Amino acid sequence: MTRPISRRRALAGFGAVAASGGCLGRSRNLAGRGTTSQLTLQIDAVPADRDPNAIRIARHLAENLKTVGIDARINTLDRTTLWRKVLINQNFDAYVGQFLEPKPFDPDAMYALTHSRFAPEVGRQNPFGFADLNGVDEELERQRRAEPDRREAVADLQRSLTELQPFTVVAFPDPLTAIREERFEGWSQGQPLTVSGLLSLDRTDAADGSTGGGGSADGGGSTDGGEFLDDGGNATAAAEELFAGDDAEASATLRLVTTDSGITENWNPIAAEYRRQGTFTSLLYDRLVVIDSGDVVPWLATDWERVGPETVEVSLRDATWHDGEPLTADDVAFTYEFLRDTSMGSMETPVPTPRFRGRSSVVESALAVDDRTVRLGVENVNRAVVVRALRVPILPAHVWSDRTEAATIAGFEFDAETTEALVSPNEDPVGSGPIRFVEATAEESAVFERNPDHFLVRAETGGDGASADAAAGVPERFRGKPAFDRLEVGVVPSDIAAVQMVGDGFADATVSTLGPDAIPRIGREADARLVTGRSGAFYHVGYNVRRAPLSNPRFRGVLASLIDKESLVEEAFDGYAEPASSPLAASPSWVPDGLRWDERSVDPVHPFAGDAGTGSLDAERARDLLRDAGYRFDDEGRLLARQQ
Amino acid sequence: MSPFLSVLRSVVLWLCASLFVAGIAIVRPKRLYGLWGNAVPRLRDARRELLALGVVLLVSAVGRGSLQTISELFGLRLTGFIWALEGNFVAWLQQAFATPELTMYFSSVYVYGYAFLLAFPFLAYLALPKTTTLRRLLVAYAFNYAIGLALYTAVFAHGPRNLNVGTSLLYTHNPEFSALTSAVNETTNVFPSLHTSLSVTVAAFAVLTREEYPLWTPLAVWLAGSVVIATMYLGIHWLTDVIGGTVLALGCVYLSYRIVDPDEAA
Repeated sequence: MTRPISRRRALAGFGAVAASGGCLGRSRNLAGRGTTSQLTLQIDAVPADRDPNAIRIARHLAENLKTVGIDARINTLDRTTLWRKVLINQNFDAYVGQFLEPKPFDPDAMYALTHSRFAPEVGRQNPFGFADLNGVDEELERQRRAEPDRREAVADLQRSLTELQPFTVVAFPDPLTAIREERFEGWSQGQPLTVSGLLSLDRTDAADGSTGGGGSADGGGSTDGGEFLDDGGNATAAAEELFAGDDAEASATLRLVTTDSGITENWNPIAAEYRRQGTFTSLLYDRLVVIDSGDVVPWLATDWERVGPETVEVSLRDATWHDGEPLTADDVAFTYEFLRDTSMGSMETPVPTPRFRGRSSVVESALAVDDRTVRLGVENVNRAVVVRALRVPILPAHVWSDRTEAATIAGFEFDAETTEALVSPNEDPVGSGPIRFVEATAEESAVFERNPDHFLVRAETGGDGASADAAAGVPERFRGKPAFDRLEVGVVPSDIAAVQMVGDGFADATVSTLGPDAIPRIGREADARLVTGRSGAFYHVGYNVRRAPLSNPRFRGVLASLIDKESLVEEAFDGYAEPASSPLAASPSWVPDGLRWDERSVDPVHPFAGDAGTGSLDAERARDLLRDAGYRFDDEGRLLARQQ
Repeated sequence: MSPFLSVLRSVVLWLCASLFVAGIAIVRPKRLYGLWGNAVPRLRDARRELLALGVVLLVSAVGRGSLQTISELFGLRLTGFIWALEGNFVAWLQQAFATPELTMYFSSVYVYGYAFLLAFPFLAYLALPKTTTLRRLLVAYAFNYAIGLALYTAVFAHGPRNLNVGTSLLYTHNPEFSALTSAVNETTNVFPSLHTSLSVTVAAFAVLTREEYPLWTPLAVWLAGSVVIATMYLGIHWLTDVIGGTVLALGCVYLSYRIVDPDEAA
């Protein structure tokens, strides 16, 4: 094989041949053909300060891609920019990210992620552009309708997804959180930084009284700066007084720290690029039902009943919006319509939300029967899928109905398919949830307060009688919650700084992902402790299958073989993760035997092309896999691809 | 936030102490006494340059957020390109030389040494009878910041630690420093290294004015060299950023000599 010749040189040669009266037909045929050159792939990921694990996966993949002759480039972006690029603009090759479900999830979560009907839409629904009509699509529909046993359909679905690899599952991380139990307790009930986790917290005596100090930081002792930092001790003491003053006013403030500034500048529950797992927006906006350790808990709904195969009737609790307006069945009906079309019919084509698409696709119509009752027209799907569809944030019609027109900047429309609702930062969010928005400083902090009108609070104050029913059906540990009066979320520069804040007593817990460099520090901080649970938020490499050669499942299969999941778990995650092949691996009961990882050290479907567990790639073996898939290399070992 | 206040306080205390000692040892008490009564007229003499630097710093402080947004949306995304260009040089540097003692030394130099390096020339050149050097220094600083800000907007790149090329030695061992650095800088502002360019600027002035302060010249060169190495050793900057910063510094010093004329009425 020869080196690729540029088009210009080819044309020059064509001219020379034409001038010398050579065979024109042959030259035309040659010059008219496109040329090949080395394949370039860009891998998008957020920087290590934001997510220490993702960048390690990206590096691992990039280095192995280079080894097999693909020109891999890493592109670091801030989280919002990355998601805008991947989810909204869809102009990426591959990205490394987390699936955004904090807990093990129902298999129906794959519906929005991989169904071909969402490929043309923008948002979290099918960002890959993946379409497998007779396999994945059919299995997704089948698992929605199979009753009572979905197991076979779900198993088939996983077999298809692992074979076709629209994304490569890398590992399920342990959701690590650094906490201090001085002021709040009850952290270890599942994951603390989820809606149910935060609502389960209880105050300690310290948080009630005035003893809740700004920190027991021992100043110079906690710093490694030696003599240069001797003044640090005094400075910390001064800061401590400052914080203690604050605490006297607001005795029960829960202080969290995160590296993700999303919640300090945008409170839109449907904005895909700003929401991670949406914990804080879920506390602002109630859902009809919530899931608590596997059980369905009636939340904004007191009850729901399937009155026919395609009809669900939902009864609502007595509730008000944060601005004092009553929450009625009209709001619920509006929400379901709005999630399917944020233009509410005012535009040529529906503009669906970039989140909750799998859920909103179940509910085909919504009608307010009276003030407290909504009738939902659903597809003929099983109970688990209906429950999932009931878990969407309920939005106030009187706020969001003003955001249905096309979004403009200074009167100019940018995109005919974007409504105001999708781009609004939703300042001063009006929800109905257990916390209310107070104030925020972009990229610094956001402050919320307990909503005294929420049914969880009313349930406590009432004692007995009518108001005791305010939270009927809600587990005891949520009653009278949240335990904090204020919730402050502070933004810190890195995971290590976040742990330091908890260790020094300036924060009660970390929100964001902790990397391997931060974990040893938790051990060194006397008052900080590490808690963990089970996470559904698997790390994965997502491919843009609209682009060749990523459109080829054989090619994606080889890419999956370039990732040594076992060694990544050891090195990038320091062992705090489980390697996996199936996206449902966090719920082992769904995973068929052939796809379980168990004790083996290689992927059951696309085993690592090298010495698994050590990270060392066998370049020749990997090249052979590519050759078998029909790809070719030049004499310098570079993988050739046709220029697009 | 309090970790920020505590680091800021220790930097300010250190700065006062070190300026006092260096003022006596290098500028000498006689010249320092000369500042009494002369400082105000000299500053008035350099008012245009002070104003220029003040404007640049103000624009940088006020406009940083919006310029950062522009950089995010439209800037050249060069992290991957820089990595492809120089590979794992920074990781190699760390692997080859990192020891706890060196990490402590470079961390201190990066924060405390750098603060001293930037502040001391103000004092030293203000103590000179002629304001030419002071004005040149101010102009060079202003150019460094202005061009730096423009390049930061044009280039969107993260430092080596953010690509896990090497580890973040500074923040892993001294996370409280990140409270300070994140308050004055964005993590995507790596090219060019302003730590490098301002340090090299100071060192260049120290060499050019070595007759005035012969003691200062080796100290400045040593400190500037340490800061430059520290930016890479600590995993904050790429070699590319350091080279860019050095070029920027030399260009700014040259421009300041072109612009500020020594014969101008002092």
